[in-house]
Amino acid sequence: MILYKIEGKQLVTDSTLIDNQKIADIIAPYKKHLNEQLDSVICITPINLTRIDGRLESSLGNLMADICFELGNPIFEKQTNKTIDFVLFNYGGIRAPIPKGSITARNAFEVMPFENELVIAELSGEKVKELLHYLFINKRAHPIAKLSLKLNTETYQDVTINDLSFDETKNYFVLTSDYLQEGGDKMNFFKNPVSLHKTGYKIRTAIIDYFKKVDSIIPNLDKRFTYAN
Amino acid sequence: MQTRRSFIQKTAASTALLGLGGFSLSSFSKPKDTHITILHTNDVHSQIEPLPNNHYKYPGLGGFSRRATLIDTIRKNNPNTLLLDAGDIFQGTPYFNYFGGELEFKLMSMLGYDVATLGNHDFDNGIDGFLSQLPNAKFDFVSANYDFSNTVLDGLVKPYKTFIKDGIKIGVFGLGVELDGLVSKRLYKETTYLNPIELAQDTVRDLKEKEQCDLVICLSHIGYYYKNNPKKVCDLQLARNTKDIDLIIGGHTHTLLPKPTIEKNSAGENVLINQCGKSGVYMGQIDFYFSADGSKTANGKSILV
Repeated sequence: MILYKIEGKQLVTDSTLIDNQKIADIIAPYKKHLNEQLDSVICITPINLTRIDGRLESSLGNLMADICFELGNPIFEKQTNKTIDFVLFNYGGIRAPIPKGSITARNAFEVMPFENELVIAELSGEKVKELLHYLFINKRAHPIAKLSLKLNTETYQDVTINDLSFDETKNYFVLTSDYLQEGGDKMNFFKNPVSLHKTGYKIRTAIIDYFKKVDSIIPNLDKRFTYAN
Repeated sequence: MQTRRSFIQKTAASTALLGLGGFSLSSFSKPKDTHITILHTNDVHSQIEPLPNNHYKYPGLGGFSRRATLIDTIRKNNPNTLLLDAGDIFQGTPYFNYFGGELEFKLMSMLGYDVATLGNHDFDNGIDGFLSQLPNAKFDFVSANYDFSNTVLDGLVKPYKTFIKDGIKIGVFGLGVELDGLVSKRLYKETTYLNPIELAQDTVRDLKEKEQCDLVICLSHIGYYYKNNPKKVCDLQLARNTKDIDLIIGGHTHTLLPKPTIEKNSAGENVLINQCGKSGVYMGQIDFYFSADGSKTANGKSILV
């Protein structure tokens, strides 16, 4: 047999194709179970949690960063005997708000549709200065926890890490996502850290675990990241 | 261009004719022209249902139950059809997070997938998570450049698989992307990544010389091309630096080729590369036409894309 002609094309799967009922019938119970799981109420929020209700901080950003510290730190401690100094994520990583009222796992999938996991990068004081400078230049409500600072017109000021003044000579263990550590959102100060620890714990899983653990959210706009005046 | 296999077949047939001289020629059916259809998906990423109606790019497209209808129609037109997937079956919707890939494998089995290769996301529940879902897959996985010998998948993933459709022997082998940096070692464990081009050359030699395949297809999850890292091994490099591959079905880079790419291999022959985006919105169809007597090949091999 001799090959004499090849034809190639792309076929689109659109609504002109009718559903194969046998396949649809297999999917149906999974879909029902999934929707029950995703839509069952696991927590309550007294307010709309968004990323835009503060200037340099937000109710949802603070919550996300606090959750990841609260659930990530014991894992890090157990795995390495060290503790996390502070947390930094990115504003763009919060993909949806959580409306006032019932919270479901579906909300967690909407807030965090990506499979990013928590990593801890050990940064030199020099790299932390770059990080602070990034926050000054960017002037966005990037979620932080255990870190507080103010921005003036020239630079950043009043930096505290874990309630202590920032010490340029020290290394710090910074909790973030694998995406940002690898240079996402141009957070280049995370590249080539002194050491890197991957927890294997997904951000979304942490959020869902937290919602299941507490009955209701206590919003916390505590001015951790503000303008000086 | 006569393959060794077809030469041997013809020789055998004429020997038989000589031996059974008493029969008239008409008792032997003349070999007929034939046609093989290859259907393929990549990076379906657990897209069980169509994409949501508010999707920014492909509202309401894709979905297994519609794809099943499309595949049925094509199989009715040509029973000599193979259905292939180039990896990243897992991850992307809560179906994976909640059911671990069970539904993906069950549905692919019902749709009649013949063989698939592993993408990096197929390790997302660890190599053990993949193994635990394998009983739901009534199709095989192939990979020529992942060495699983020190893992739980030892012996379960072969370098290639062959099929015979209407007398045409088709060899399908798999290639996977480098896992280090993409997947946590905790998940892929002792899986060893080997050079895709070297392993492709070795495997194609086996498929051509040992297995006498008429058609050689590579299921690749190494990615089409990396604009920001042109030296990184990719399907275009694979095509140029190997020979005797007829078709490379790609994945990983989610590339939606408007039409299959035609590239010259190391022997100056044409090789086809196709990849169709992600989420099962598109499915590739490649048709190979074979002539029994060579009468249609006077003008050489034609490629219509």
